[in-house]
Amino acid sequence: MAEERKWGMVVDIDRCTGCQACVIACQTENNILMSSEDIVQQKRAMVWIRIERYWEGEYPNIKARFIPVLCQHCENAPCEPVCPVYATYHNNEGLNVQVYNRCVGTRYCANNCPYHARVFNYWERHTAAPHMQVYPADARAAEPMNEYLNPDVTVRTKGLMEKCTFCLQRIRRVSRQATVEGRAIADGEVQPACVQSCPTGALVFGDLRDARSQVSKLAGDQRAYHLLEDLGTRPAVTYLKKVDPNARATSPSH
Amino acid sequence: MELTRRDFLKISGSSAAGAVLFAGCTPPEHEWKLESPVLLPEDTLTSFENWYASVCRQCEAGCGIITRVVEGRAKKIEGNPLHPLNRGKLCARGEAGLQALYHPDRLRTPLRRTGPRGMGQYQIISWDEALNELVSRLKDQQAQGSAGAVALVTGPLRGLEAHLVTRFARAYGATSLAYAPLEETALQAALKQLFGQDTYPVFDIARANYILSFGANFLEPWISQVHYNRAYGEFRQGQRTQRGYLVQVEPRLSTTAANADEWVPVTPGTEGVLALSIAYVLIDRRLASPTVAQAMTGGAGVQGLGAFRPEEASRITGVPAERIEAIAKALAERRPALVLGGLGPAGHTNGLFNLTAIYALNFLLESVGRPGGVLLNPAPPTPELAARAPASPFLEWQRFAERLRTKQPRPVNILMVHDANPLYGLPPAVQFGEGLKNVPVIISFSSFMDETTAMADLILPDSTYLESWGESIPDPGPGFQAVGFQQPVVKPYFSTRSFTDVLLTVAGELGGQAKEELPWNTYKDALRETAQRLFRLNRGSIRKPDFESFWNTLLQEGGWRDEQATAPRVDLRLPVLARQSQPPQFSGTDKDYPFYLHVFASAGLSDGRGAHLPWLQMTPDPTTTIMWQSWVEMNPRTAAALGLRENDVVVVESPQGRLETMLYLYPAIPPGVVAMPTGQGHTYLGRYAEKRGANPLSILAPMATAEGGALAWGATRVRISKTGRQYPLPKLEGSVPAVQPEDYTIIPVTDLRTR
Repeated sequence: MAEERKWGMVVDIDRCTGCQACVIACQTENNILMSSEDIVQQKRAMVWIRIERYWEGEYPNIKARFIPVLCQHCENAPCEPVCPVYATYHNNEGLNVQVYNRCVGTRYCANNCPYHARVFNYWERHTAAPHMQVYPADARAAEPMNEYLNPDVTVRTKGLMEKCTFCLQRIRRVSRQATVEGRAIADGEVQPACVQSCPTGALVFGDLRDARSQVSKLAGDQRAYHLLEDLGTRPAVTYLKKVDPNARATSPSH
Repeated sequence: MELTRRDFLKISGSSAAGAVLFAGCTPPEHEWKLESPVLLPEDTLTSFENWYASVCRQCEAGCGIITRVVEGRAKKIEGNPLHPLNRGKLCARGEAGLQALYHPDRLRTPLRRTGPRGMGQYQIISWDEALNELVSRLKDQQAQGSAGAVALVTGPLRGLEAHLVTRFARAYGATSLAYAPLEETALQAALKQLFGQDTYPVFDIARANYILSFGANFLEPWISQVHYNRAYGEFRQGQRTQRGYLVQVEPRLSTTAANADEWVPVTPGTEGVLALSIAYVLIDRRLASPTVAQAMTGGAGVQGLGAFRPEEASRITGVPAERIEAIAKALAERRPALVLGGLGPAGHTNGLFNLTAIYALNFLLESVGRPGGVLLNPAPPTPELAARAPASPFLEWQRFAERLRTKQPRPVNILMVHDANPLYGLPPAVQFGEGLKNVPVIISFSSFMDETTAMADLILPDSTYLESWGESIPDPGPGFQAVGFQQPVVKPYFSTRSFTDVLLTVAGELGGQAKEELPWNTYKDALRETAQRLFRLNRGSIRKPDFESFWNTLLQEGGWRDEQATAPRVDLRLPVLARQSQPPQFSGTDKDYPFYLHVFASAGLSDGRGAHLPWLQMTPDPTTTIMWQSWVEMNPRTAAALGLRENDVVVVESPQGRLETMLYLYPAIPPGVVAMPTGQGHTYLGRYAEKRGANPLSILAPMATAEGGALAWGATRVRISKTGRQYPLPKLEGSVPAVQPEDYTIIPVTDLRTR
């Protein structure tokens, strides 16, 4: 099959304000298990996109930097070769796909992901932290909240690995529509939930194989870099550096 | 041999399966791949979706939304691309609106209290019963000639809803007040004084070249987070020749300051002095237009501001004199420059002085009425849409609490509460809770069991905004006339009715003047009448030959706008720069209470109204990454000197009260300041909010701005002491190793794909 498209994203750090709109948009779109307080305390929060914060400098010359981190959909994905059951593979549109009904939960992929973009379902949806009552033990008690689950996205169960899909369901919906109408997908027509919500326009999504797409143009910007570029993972997510007119040599701390 | 996994599988697939089993018969290419031959669940779409336009009510700005509805259930909220305020974008709070609709702890039916107040013992009653009781109680008061003993408390309202509520209160003779915990009344007063308008002007962030912001947290929940974030993106990387430069002046590095090019820590409450010092430099160095400068100093020239020479101001504000000069020069050079002031400078006893001094700089820099500066909004297209019921200032609330408590000058016999939670937000020092005990009947129209509703005797639950009709003039306006229309995107999920419909029903039952003032049967009728007026204007984005098609397009597009209808050019009179600075007053001496308490709006929960939604509880605070909890921020060096560590449970004590919360070591806060987010510390409001964290508003001193009487939430000093306990803060920080890319040590790894 010809590889027609290669989906990719650009994250402009100079626009990102760390407002968290993308984080919640992703939660609402992808039926992600809500992380209760003790789940966060255990450092097992379920997020497909997170905004990392870095301190630079010392008071009073201190700055905070924000970097949204999501699955980088690497061309050379370290998570793919270690899966014993081929639950994660690279599809012909450049997406690193997680097949839930193949996953047996070895968590090798998460161990091998340098971006820590993969999260594991340690809990059943309704037994996650029952004392917190985020999902009460009696699943029916939290019932109305089932109503907003997205019917296009599989509800994952305990023991499954999951991660950002670039909102595969949205890609499918647009490509199906385009096929029905006998046309190509227009640039900007597919928008993952995070890109759709991003108020500052820091996130841009599109086809990297189309040289005229906005994402291709931005990926060629002089500010462009990849996270952990030296690992040779060839991410499909390109970052654009923050512009700092007062930059000074400081070492970052986390 | 270099072999990728994919190559290996292709080879093994074609040799083993292809060559041996099906000798001579090559399997189709797609079977070589690891993709499943059947359609994966990930690839199937089962739903047919409809998108309905409406208006977001998670904050007061009024962004346009579109809601995805599948089989009668709302599934996703997104920004409406046609709405001029947010143009398709939305914030975390807007996205989380679905949880307010399908919340397990929503009030599902009308309730009547059976047990003692606050014990949560209620009996389910029918709507007829509830309405009958409400109407008969109101009629009783009327018959006794004590209609004035009825009080109606709402959130800040504007447009048709404000029109209805004020008309109802007037016709019935009730007292009406509006409540907002982090009131913007000081800011609104300052803007009114300088720009002559009740609504927010357009702060043209997108086209500004230089922004000097005094605690205006415009990238956080302040006025309109989405609108200003959108503009900020353009300010940084829009199609312009120069990247905008942002300087943030405030005592604590907020999310906005984190994104600024410079953060200027300032002594709390001295922002106005700093602004006047900048004015001094601008005038002294002839960087401002001399005529404007003369007018604004009342002819006194720079001598009029002699007390604000940078050297003097430096002593008061803690900002070095050279830095004040540098900022003033940059402001003058990099025009259009925009100067903003927000919650920080507003929340002191000299709040109004601070804000007028700050915003007056825009005149000195000739930024008013210019693109990239401060632009004005036109009046709404119809008179009823211009109605406003803004938040009543704190002092008025203090007087009201006193009236409840002392029953002087007259008692309140019936208190009706809608979309306001003063029992949570008002500092306990005003004793609002004590006052409520003297009110014989409390009636709530809330969707949730919040603190005030928990005291109610009768509850007539409101539908959420996704189930009700409404409209909203975006505030801040986009610079031209625009109206957002809110329609129910789903049917009411529970047995709830929207407050406005209930109000109209009650007016109808009361009859007489109330019925005359509010002749509509439902809110939709009133809304259609407004739409009729817009239709007859025959201008703007929707022009149709008949009303029905106008109405349908109006709902389909989520509103109406006329980009030609901008504000008329007004001759702006130049305000006189404040010459009398007032030093801020604080509750507590610096000896007993060594720290300023800086209260800021939580990123997810804002002033506390979002605390019941788990998505907002788990929205990480951008700079600390903390979720689900409250915390107090302290400079690590100060903490070390006090022997305090992160996750220590500490007592934060003001002259008015004390609370316990966790300590977070915040490297970007001055040693003499501690900071706390609002939003947590609910005793009610559902399973996700109750008994979680602490509410900093609960230890605030009842101090108000000298003029206008707004709450001075920055005027409280505190001391911090150990409890000896520890509690791990739930935060994202430290969950994973850093992937900070730019200065990462380079480890050469052979590219696996090299062939």
